[in-house]
Amino acid sequence: MSDTRFSTTEKDILQELMNIGFGQAAADLAQVIGLSIELSIPDIQLFKVCELSRHMAEKMAGEQEFSLVEQYFLGKFQGIALLALPARSGKKLVSLFGLQDQCNWSSENLEMLEKEAMIEVGNILIGACVGKITELLNDVVLFSPPRMMIQDVRDSILPNHLFAPGSLAISLKTVFHFERKKITGQLFLIANQDSIAWLKTALNTFMEQYE
Amino acid sequence: MTTLLIVDDSPIARQILRKCLPNDDDFTVLEACDGRDAIEKFRQFRPAITFMDMTMPVMDGFAAIAEIRRMNPQAVIIAATADVQPKARKRIADLGALMLLPKPVSPGSIRDALSRARVALEGETQG
Ligand SMILES: [Mg+2]
Repeated sequence: MSDTRFSTTEKDILQELMNIGFGQAAADLAQVIGLSIELSIPDIQLFKVCELSRHMAEKMAGEQEFSLVEQYFLGKFQGIALLALPARSGKKLVSLFGLQDQCNWSSENLEMLEKEAMIEVGNILIGACVGKITELLNDVVLFSPPRMMIQDVRDSILPNHLFAPGSLAISLKTVFHFERKKITGQLFLIANQDSIAWLKTALNTFMEQYE
Repeated sequence: MTTLLIVDDSPIARQILRKCLPNDDDFTVLEACDGRDAIEKFRQFRPAITFMDMTMPVMDGFAAIAEIRRMNPQAVIIAATADVQPKARKRIADLGALMLLPKPVSPGSIRDALSRARVALEGETQG
């Protein structure tokens, strides 16, 4: 089995890459919805795949209900991106996309619209963030279409085809706040054990240009 | 000899910036790990040019730029940040920073930023 331990330096590099990736993502989203995001310092953690729900629940303590948008990224860096937004933020996001004037929506359609708004926010943030990080690490990833996850965060499990039970995963997490709208979201990029081995090499190669 | 202050909570980001400095120049490089540390180092050493990260614990770059510019309204500050949103760009400009340098920095982008900083510094001594 390959060495999956991460040195402090490797974590620092990853944290800075997540910082850059999410900065890019926020700028891309701001262009679409005209609203700024307050950034924070990313958090990097390794955990056991079977402990995902505990990992997520720990990270998301305090908030009652979340909606999750999920999207897979597949490259040498591969895993799942999860965007967690307060369940009731859909309405605010709909207005940001300029769709609030269409008041002839039935409540059922409105719900759909809210879902679409969340999915679109996820699509932009995840695509830009993962895209930037992998670009800096010389990888190319493919994305699955983003979708809403229905089950409760606390029950979520990682898909077996990407995350072998008993293996390790690495989580890159950023908390962010939308200015004026009082929406706090969290973006998790969770990569599988194969990615961890590749990441270690890629991070060291990335730093070689600065040594 | 030019004194530079590199402010960033990420030791890796500080290392990258340091390594991107042109090596044909004579610099004294100081480092600070957050806004409060930056203000302290600025007060003590009066660096000619300050590279400032924005997202930091304890005190962020926005507050630190404001405070440093209060201490010295001529202070030459380059915001080296991953926050490239229009709002951040505007806040950084409004605070009187010389420019925004998007991360990751490169030898080329640092060279350009330093020449702009030198022009600003010359303007100061002449004005
Ligand atoms: Mg920072």
